[in-house]
Amino acid sequence: MIFNILLSVLLVLPQAVLADQGTPADVLPKDGDIESWIRHRPQQHYAGEALYEYINGGAEIYHEYGFVQVIVQDYVNDLGKSVSVEIYEMTSPASAYGMYTFKTNSKGKRISIGCDAQLADYYMNFWKGPFLVTLTGFDETEETREGLLNIAKSVSSKIPVGGKNPRIVSLLPEEDLVAQSYKYFTGFLGLRNSHPFFSLDILGFEEGIKGDYFGGFSFFLFCFEGEQESRKVFQSMKGQKDRRGRSFFVATHRKYLMMVLGDADQLEAERVFDRAREIIQE
Amino acid sequence: MIFPDGKIRFHERRDFMDKKIGRREFFKRSAKIGISAAVGYGFVSCSGGEEVVSTGGDSVDVTVATGNDYFANTVKAVENLGGMSKFVPKDARVAILPNSQSRHPGTFTKAEVIHAVVEMCQKAGAAEVNCLTWLKPENWEASGLDVAVKEAGANLKFIAAEEANFKVVPVQGWKAHQELMIMKEFYNNDVFIDMPVTKDHAGNKFTGTMKNLMGLNYRPNNRLFHKEDWATNPESIQFLDQCIVDMNKAVTPTLCVVDATEFITTNGPFGPGELTKPQKVIAGVDRVAIDAYCTTLWGLTGEEIYAIKLGFEQGLGEMDLNKVRIEQITA
Repeated sequence: MIFNILLSVLLVLPQAVLADQGTPADVLPKDGDIESWIRHRPQQHYAGEALYEYINGGAEIYHEYGFVQVIVQDYVNDLGKSVSVEIYEMTSPASAYGMYTFKTNSKGKRISIGCDAQLADYYMNFWKGPFLVTLTGFDETEETREGLLNIAKSVSSKIPVGGKNPRIVSLLPEEDLVAQSYKYFTGFLGLRNSHPFFSLDILGFEEGIKGDYFGGFSFFLFCFEGEQESRKVFQSMKGQKDRRGRSFFVATHRKYLMMVLGDADQLEAERVFDRAREIIQE
Repeated sequence: MIFPDGKIRFHERRDFMDKKIGRREFFKRSAKIGISAAVGYGFVSCSGGEEVVSTGGDSVDVTVATGNDYFANTVKAVENLGGMSKFVPKDARVAILPNSQSRHPGTFTKAEVIHAVVEMCQKAGAAEVNCLTWLKPENWEASGLDVAVKEAGANLKFIAAEEANFKVVPVQGWKAHQELMIMKEFYNNDVFIDMPVTKDHAGNKFTGTMKNLMGLNYRPNNRLFHKEDWATNPESIQFLDQCIVDMNKAVTPTLCVVDATEFITTNGPFGPGELTKPQKVIAGVDRVAIDAYCTTLWGLTGEEIYAIKLGFEQGLGEMDLNKVRIEQITA
């Protein structure tokens, strides 16, 4: 009897967890949820490989981070303004965070929605739990921006779970770090897009983070399965140059590979490496 | 000209190329609108609100028209190359390939650019202008380009994504991709105008005239450009770029008209992303030169984009912009 109850609980648990986090359809605002904005056009839904039908030529990056499904819904207001809402369910909060950093940059305005949010001229992104939410307005008027924010708040309020940044994010030295310049990556495509001149072959890492610094350089931290793997890649880095033919600084610490790319001299690079080593040891 | 055997011959283009505008003729022409100053390798002229800046070699290879009237920019860019009749003979059937990938700002070819090209083709005496696509009607409806194409007077032809609608086209001199599957309807046309919007691309960093041709190729064939490990193996990423170059060996546009009025420099190709608004329309025949020029609009160089570098090395065009005659027209 007890066994049967336990078995039932175990079978139901994954679905209960799913129900707890909600699905993209669950968290989509309905008519009447947001003042003066209603749904417009039929909803679109794409799961797994079908994402290629929606994002022709650009779906790979979502799959690299871990894509489950996306729902797309347009909204219009009584002034005829429109906003498109895309709710991407990713495989984990880390995946959602990764896509969020991929789609944002240090120029956007940080706002307090979800776990982190950023408003740009005509669009905004936020992430919460395993969801990455992208809202696009089709002009830069005040009404549209207000619509973006109100719809985003409504979606966020319907997502019952939160999420934490992957731990590796906290290992970046904070001194002189440009706010919102993070790029978190779990694969080569995300890495290559993390920096305009990145052309280095760094393979086999589990995850990585990049931050830009006011000195004019970027600091990369890669996590490998073990120290042996990171040292192996360190050895292979000799002679490599960035897309502009520039040299860079590289070091290892335990299972981590560290790299400074851009306008930094050896002294500055060593200072950042030392600080990162201290943080890792803490 | 595109012939049923899949080979493309360019009588008009050769004619145009034979009559390249020499430096002397350019000066003579420029004098009519008033050359006012010479600056380094290029020169600048201003007259009646119009500005011309020219750099590079002896003939006009690429025209860049800048201004906030995108229709006018397009007309001026093509006129400066000698006019649409240089490329479109009377009674020709013209295929155009604008990009309608997404409705996010800066991700699709602007309606004004399409409208101008279609109108110029009609004035040149084209029998018909056909906008070809294997994308779904929803893509065109969302970007509003379905209406724009029809209003311009072109036929928007949706080619169902079925193998029977595509024909096998061998690639002469291929290095990575031996065979394409181009839509059969394409070969019912005499002239081909490639009309991408230049923008960021997560896979190749850049998209322009060369990559846009994937819009003619059967999607499952395009998928072959991507090896299974293409996102994790640098060699497979280079394979993708080589496939794009191979495709450009089999299909050569008669003319390229690139929308660089507003485009995304991040989160490409789908967006939404950071927008830059150079307000430029670029016209020319040399795909490598045009793409190399477009990279400079957002701080890159042609050499940094592997497909451009390969295109240059394999004879598709000139990557060194110092060797390309680029005329800048500002309204």
